[in-house]
Amino acid sequence: MVLETILYIVAYPPLWQLLILGFLGSLVVAMVAIWFERKAAARVQRRIGPYWASPRLGGFINIVADMVRYVMQQVIIPNTVDRAAFILAPIVALVVSILPLAFTPLTPISLYWPVASMEFSLLIALAITTIPPLLVVALGWAANNKFAVIGSMRESYVITAYELVAVLAILSGAAATLSFNLVDIVEAQQPLKWLAILNPLAFLAAFLAVLMSTSAFPFEIPESEHEVVAGPFTEYSGVLYALNMGGAYIRRFVYAVLLSLVFLGGWAPYTPVSEGPIAGFIVPSLIVVAKATLLVLAMSFLRAVYGRYRLDQALEAAWRLAIPLALLGFGWSLALAYANVI
Amino acid sequence: MRESHTGTSSGEGWKLPGMMVRRVEREVYEIFIGPQHPGSGHMRIIVRLDGDVIVEADPDIGYVHRTMEKLSEVREWLKPIPLLERMTIIDACNITVPYVNALEKLMDKSPPPRASYLRVLLCEINRVASHLYGFGIFGVFLGHSTMYMWAFGDREVFVELAEVLTGARLTHTYPIPGGVRRDMPQDFPEMARRAVRYMRRRLEEYRKIFLDNPVIVRRLEGVGVIPRNLAAELGIVGPNVRASGIKYDVRLVEPYEVYDELDFEVPVFEEGDALARTWVRVEEIKQSLNIIEQAVDWLERHKGEPVIPKEDFDKLPKLHKEVYEKTGRVKLLPAHASMKIPAGKAIARGEMGRGEIVYYVESDGGTTPYRVRVVTPSARNAVIFKYIVPGHRLMDLPAIYGSIDYFPPESDR
Repeated sequence: MVLETILYIVAYPPLWQLLILGFLGSLVVAMVAIWFERKAAARVQRRIGPYWASPRLGGFINIVADMVRYVMQQVIIPNTVDRAAFILAPIVALVVSILPLAFTPLTPISLYWPVASMEFSLLIALAITTIPPLLVVALGWAANNKFAVIGSMRESYVITAYELVAVLAILSGAAATLSFNLVDIVEAQQPLKWLAILNPLAFLAAFLAVLMSTSAFPFEIPESEHEVVAGPFTEYSGVLYALNMGGAYIRRFVYAVLLSLVFLGGWAPYTPVSEGPIAGFIVPSLIVVAKATLLVLAMSFLRAVYGRYRLDQALEAAWRLAIPLALLGFGWSLALAYANVI
Repeated sequence: MRESHTGTSSGEGWKLPGMMVRRVEREVYEIFIGPQHPGSGHMRIIVRLDGDVIVEADPDIGYVHRTMEKLSEVREWLKPIPLLERMTIIDACNITVPYVNALEKLMDKSPPPRASYLRVLLCEINRVASHLYGFGIFGVFLGHSTMYMWAFGDREVFVELAEVLTGARLTHTYPIPGGVRRDMPQDFPEMARRAVRYMRRRLEEYRKIFLDNPVIVRRLEGVGVIPRNLAAELGIVGPNVRASGIKYDVRLVEPYEVYDELDFEVPVFEEGDALARTWVRVEEIKQSLNIIEQAVDWLERHKGEPVIPKEDFDKLPKLHKEVYEKTGRVKLLPAHASMKIPAGKAIARGEMGRGEIVYYVESDGGTTPYRVRVVTPSARNAVIFKYIVPGHRLMDLPAIYGSIDYFPPESDR
């Protein structure tokens, strides 16, 4: 009885999805993204990049060593900060960053869903993705540093402009399929009616919005080093800083999972043939994660190509270009639904 | 804006000489960019912000003042050369040639043409390396890490070229009164031509990834405009003034060494913004590459000519002459270090990578200078911050800083 209870708790699917896929998976993807970012940039810049720590793995161990260093480093908490917010905000931000994965199905088989029903899963997941930036604003304010405050202000400008784009653009998936259920949205795209192909406008807007809201180049503005040092994270050190930095990558990954479900057909073109754990869960979820990882890598690569936009230019791009684009994409999705294309 | 430096919050109040009293304003957010800041260099810019817009920028220089002028007064005539190089270690030949020219004026000595060509050759190699250094910093200021890595990687080509020529990567101490310290190695011309061909190809790639990059163009176009009249009024020099439509280059207005024998153009742009300043540097690199080619051609045609005056060469002992014949190195006598220079005053100017450098050297007939006055280009350009940064957004500050190519150690001396 006790054993069964323990087994039930340990094997509880939501726990697995959050812990294994959510935390460890996104950690691994974040590490791969960081490694790829450094390696690809090095390739473009005619360098080698990380290498000597493990020549056969292309220096991948270097990233692990960096993580270990962050964990071992002393965490300096200045006297002038608001201690509770300073310590809690990065932790809560990271947890909330991963949370949308609890509402993302990686397979059509309900046995392996983290929650019992996937009704409104898109809406809930999207709602949760909008919370972490608020915590970034909060921690910048708690840090009580001029550069951190400027960084937080920039973050708040950026989220007002770009969260709207992200939500609108990703919701165009719901508009096209007339459903908030992510499983229905993915199934509607089977096998190759991917929304990214049918509605490239919304996909482009969503891609832009994700770049912006996770401070990827060319929109790395709140942390722009040469004016505001590290933006909201200026006073952070050690593991708390690593949480902040890793948080951005993890948010990017979570967004990428959502994008690959809504726009890239999720586990398409694969359809589970049986309900076994390999055919029913591992294969489709690996397909989704692979698509998401590719998206993350594409976003990371932009660092080697672009500089950063100015804050006002980025905001102008949001209000003048991205929001009309997202609205257009939304309208196009409604047209698709009206014409019964999907 | 200026009044706020001289009065207290009541508007008038007391003043101490050399003391700045600033009005405390409630709506203004003051941030100190530097001296410990990733975007400042060895200086501090006190920036006052109204929202995101800079209302006042105050360049606070002097953090790396090393008393170059005073130190020169207690060193024998030759020894300030390696000292003064330290002001702009990346532009070492350009910064010492005018000093050597001033000494030559006092001594009434002129270098043989081959020495002059060698100096010009190294000066232009330095200019390319210096501009590439500026590009690298500029790139990373705009968040463009590829430009940073490329420029620093390609600068290595020219640093190594200088090493082959002089034996040192950065602090060459190459020119000496009357000549240079070393002749060109045999295989140098081919290396130089290869480097020139390589750099021309690379500049095209720079254009593709950086200068025509839509993000970079939007960051630079119309930012930090120095109007022509303001540039003239403030006495700005170098690529910055040439980007504002003023054709001023010491190599052109008062040719020194053999610049009047060489065929080159001085690129001038009219816009005066950060983008124009960037383009001026690119065009200048192209012109420098042309000059390097011409100098190398001339040097190849005139093999075996002396690199120090004949009277100096004749004074050398047999062993030193043999070393010169074999390796091209000029080994000076100890007496050279403690030479006396006739009393007098001399002014010499030169064009560094960042602009015009002026030396005033006064001798009282002793073994050390009586006075060495240096006015470096960065010292003259530092004032720009105060005039063109206000009105821009905070994120424009790195773009303006990088486009001015300001170098604090050079300015502080």
